[in-house]
Amino acid sequence: MENIKTAQVYKQMVKWQLIATISVAVLAFVLAESTGAVSGKHAAISALAGGMSAVLGGLAGALIAKSGDKKNNAGAILITMLKAEAVKIFIIALLLFLTFKLYNEHLVPIALILGLAASAILSGAAFFGLDKK
Amino acid sequence: MEAVQFLATIQAYTGIGIGLIIGLGAAGACIGIGIMCASFLEGAARQPEMIPALQGKVFLLLGLIDASFIIGVGLAMMFAFANPLLSVVPH
Repeated sequence: MENIKTAQVYKQMVKWQLIATISVAVLAFVLAESTGAVSGKHAAISALAGGMSAVLGGLAGALIAKSGDKKNNAGAILITMLKAEAVKIFIIALLLFLTFKLYNEHLVPIALILGLAASAILSGAAFFGLDKK
Repeated sequence: MEAVQFLATIQAYTGIGIGLIIGLGAAGACIGIGIMCASFLEGAARQPEMIPALQGKVFLLLGLIDASFIIGVGLAMMFAFANPLLSVVPH
């Protein structure tokens, strides 16, 4: 079995997250424009805000998790991973809070949730990319 | 006055819902992470040479397990800051 470094995993993860975020943003724009219920521009921005929260949180987590690559002790690696995950969740929650506070007037909540959900779930699709290598 | 009572009731029940979304989501994620970390430590103890190969996958799976919790946090924030249920209260 090959040695898969955290940076490689993150590259795959961010690729899938960006694909998911942009797809949902385009879908939100088209749906909002066709129904006319909300502005397409604001729906797309909301979806991008949701998706990018997950991407930036993942980036912060990856930077911390990368430091665990040099360690050989399983316990130390696990602690680093859990630290990275805690930072990731904190950053995502903070960015979502800021989005809801600062962009409240034009925010389309359902588009934001869909962008966030697609980005968070599809990060797992990186697993298939790693298995192919 | 009735509108204010409706508003208070909706906000109270929404508060309980937000607590349940975050609390149960966190509990589920913690159980999942606990099981996965235990398996990682067990695998590392049996075959230490597999640690580098498992490391990246553990990071990826941590994110996947936490996805449901993160979505829950997003939904909870939606109910906290832009509650769609409040629209039924007449102004």
